[in-house]
Amino acid sequence: MAEITKEKMEQIAQMWNARGKGLITHMALEIEEVSSDGVRVRMPFNPDFCVDSDQTLLHGGILTALLDSVFGLANFVAIEGVSTMATLDLRVDYLRAARSRADVIVHAHCFRKTRHIAFNAGSIWFDGHEDAEIARGTASFALTRGDTSLFEAMTKGKAS
Amino acid sequence: MIDLQTVNANVSRVPFFRFLNFEVQSLDSLHAEAGMTFESRHIGNPIMEHYHGGIIASFMEATAAISVHPDFADVPAKPINLTVDYLRPGVKGPLYARANVTRKGKRIASVSVITWQTALEKPVAEGLYHFLLV
Repeated sequence: MAEITKEKMEQIAQMWNARGKGLITHMALEIEEVSSDGVRVRMPFNPDFCVDSDQTLLHGGILTALLDSVFGLANFVAIEGVSTMATLDLRVDYLRAARSRADVIVHAHCFRKTRHIAFNAGSIWFDGHEDAEIARGTASFALTRGDTSLFEAMTKGKAS
Repeated sequence: MIDLQTVNANVSRVPFFRFLNFEVQSLDSLHAEAGMTFESRHIGNPIMEHYHGGIIASFMEATAAISVHPDFADVPAKPINLTVDYLRPGVKGPLYARANVTRKGKRIASVSVITWQTALEKPVAEGLYHFLLV
């Protein structure tokens, strides 16, 4: 895979931050690292994502949503000329109870890309506890390739 | 069997369930059905305004958890893992989910969930969820 240029990294960050609406904006994701090994993203603690009244236990669903989002990002980085991308399927194992108020760190990569399909894997842990993984997921994505890349549409057309 | 009003009162106490904004519409010992209201915070594709896949999976997980343990006191049933098949985009508008408890043992429950918008015959996603009951 080609090295990721600083310009492309900035575009990617801009694309995520310029969305203005939707779940990714609500999750306040911060891209920490983008390399050929994958991407690492931070999700700050948010009490809205908890299931308990003390607001210390994250719902599994938000971890699934986080993996799905970051897989998308990993594919943007790894694959050139993608015009649309749709999640085909997703599997997530919840490895331990997600009880903490620490930020959540997710690492995801694309381990195989073909003309039509991308395969992804990722892990989630609380900041500072990389040895205690809380969830792990794999997914496949259907890609359509074309001249009008979704990436360009989103970086150029940042309406809000 | 627990009544819908009590279940929805339980649902409204869970912060993340309020974030999803859904209501349980029917319930028996092996099924739960719920409807979710579209919110801009649910969007995954900001150009097309489709639901985020993770929100669809979260809503299915919530409905599945209620089908195995509708009268949860504090937190919903403990999820072990899930697989989801995304079949169609979830467009702007309400989304419905139906959870079927396929098997409920002493320790593990297996639940299949289907979500749709206009018709059950045109599912948006299907999922399989496992829960730990101990």
